[in-house]
Amino acid sequence: MPAIQTHDLTKYYGDVCGVEDLSFSVEEGEVFGFLGPNGAGKTTAIRTLMGFQSPTEGTATVLDADITDTAALRRVRANVGYLPSEPGFDESVTGRRLLDYHGSLRGDVRSDELLELFDPPLDRRVGEYSRGNVQMLAIVMAFMHDPDLLIMDEPTSGLDPLKQEELLEFIRAEQDRGKTFFFSSHILSEVRKVCDRIGIIREGRLVELEDVASLIDRSGKTVRANIGGSVTAAEFEIEGAHDVTVSGGPGSADQASDTATGDDAPEIDGGEETTSVSFTYTGAYEPLLGHLLEYELLDLAIEEAPLEDVFMRFYGDHDAEAVVERVENGTDENGGDEDGGPGEDGHDEAQDAEAETADV
Amino acid sequence: MFETARFEGERRLTGSVVVALGLSAFAAMMVLIAPAILDEFDVAALTESFPPALVEAMRLDVIATIEGFMALELYWFGWLLVLGIYVAYNAASAIAGDIDDGTMDTLLAAPVSRWQVLFEKYLSLLVPILVVNVVVLVVVYAGTQLVNEPIAAVDLVAVHALSVPYLLFWGAFGMLASVIAPRRVVAEGVAAGALVATFLVETVADGTDLDWLGLVSPTRYYDPVAILTASDYNYTGAALLLAGTAVLLLASGAWFARRDVQ
Repeated sequence: MPAIQTHDLTKYYGDVCGVEDLSFSVEEGEVFGFLGPNGAGKTTAIRTLMGFQSPTEGTATVLDADITDTAALRRVRANVGYLPSEPGFDESVTGRRLLDYHGSLRGDVRSDELLELFDPPLDRRVGEYSRGNVQMLAIVMAFMHDPDLLIMDEPTSGLDPLKQEELLEFIRAEQDRGKTFFFSSHILSEVRKVCDRIGIIREGRLVELEDVASLIDRSGKTVRANIGGSVTAAEFEIEGAHDVTVSGGPGSADQASDTATGDDAPEIDGGEETTSVSFTYTGAYEPLLGHLLEYELLDLAIEEAPLEDVFMRFYGDHDAEAVVERVENGTDENGGDEDGGPGEDGHDEAQDAEAETADV
Repeated sequence: MFETARFEGERRLTGSVVVALGLSAFAAMMVLIAPAILDEFDVAALTESFPPALVEAMRLDVIATIEGFMALELYWFGWLLVLGIYVAYNAASAIAGDIDDGTMDTLLAAPVSRWQVLFEKYLSLLVPILVVNVVVLVVVYAGTQLVNEPIAAVDLVAVHALSVPYLLFWGAFGMLASVIAPRRVVAEGVAAGALVATFLVETVADGTDLDWLGLVSPTRYYDPVAILTASDYNYTGAALLLAGTAVLLLASGAWFARRDVQ
């Protein structure tokens, strides 16, 4: 039985879409990362799963309890740890009193052990806590009853880098003890470190569901080449190349073109000059190197693409389905796609940011 | 069970003691100045110099006795209004405030039902209600003995005891405002505003053609002046207030169980 299963889970706030048609499952014992920018619907999904709000449509189960069955959900919450994105506590009491209180509500079998790792100043009032201390207190509360399933919303937020690392390490250790994790994040490096699978959510919809290893595989390599003479982006529209960027040498204005339309990609003049070409590549080495060797290759760097870039590929695009299709086919089909082109990146991102803030 | 009531009750203790001390100080002052004032009162002159409707509304006819004086100066104002608003206001922030500052999430993540959360938070309102009543009862009793203007102990106990259903009612009303209102300040405003409005309606409409308006005012069902000056205990009124309390609490629970906590 999956620890969490959702089927077309939809939540609207009036006319505003929180999440739409989310379908995924989190298997027992896995660490599932739920990725998306702020406002994408991560928190909405999590709060709906916790039963804080009822879904507009669709269903979901948490540890086999239907989230609309309040009594069943209440019972399984004894076995669920929850870490909110912005933990709120009564600020007039000490951390110790709060731990006692919440321990009495959900049981406390391991707070002593947890407090060695995450050590907020328990004898001070929570109102005097720094953000990091509040987060540590919330982490202790999420784990103190030793639940089998942990639902965490941006778990590392507010922690200093050292504590972030400790938390991720702790999550790995807990996974070894058989615990299941469902956590949201917008930070890819942490997801990459601990997650087995990730779901990427954007504007309330799941645009990708993938295990991390194959996502990194598919995310491919970043290729940067300096080539003598002038080339067009269209020339690098080889199979497996994405987001080809060409910039001219000194003297000519930098021109960037991507894969939107191969036909009218700008030509770069300047006979003797060098041209920088960079793109993400998801194919095998032979065809790539073969293609590159057709040019006067001055410099070449091939490195693993940062997951951030992959991530940007999901968000730099307006049409989520086209992105999924593109990634799944492992080819770039934007040349023939009406609205699939990422366009000028900066512009697109600004638009996305607007759309997403409206989405909160 | 009752972990939340205990936790919330402890939190309310400090505020309750402060309110108890404040009202005690006010009560003590009233008791101390009462003998001097009572000597100087000329009730006939007083009632003649004001319009009869106002005399009726302000109950000036009974002010010349220690019982009437304390009922009007302390209980009518201090209990019907001040303590009532304190309880309603605290109840109103109980749920809405926790939702506003995110505390409710941490609480609802535990295996507790919303009915239980609501009921236990409501229960914690007994702390201010009981602390203030007991402390001020002792102060008034001791004070009136001291200045040699004793009030019948039974009446004093009754005026405090019968205030409990009145205050419980406003606590329940505050809870309803708390679960329905979108934000804490709205809930607090609605709860305190409704209390003041019904208090004024009952005060103004009393004895006029609009007397029936006062029927919906909780103020009508707890009358400290009648208790202290005439030993007239309105048990029916207390029962009605308790019934209203139950209805409001059930409505609050039903609403809270269904609403989204955002």
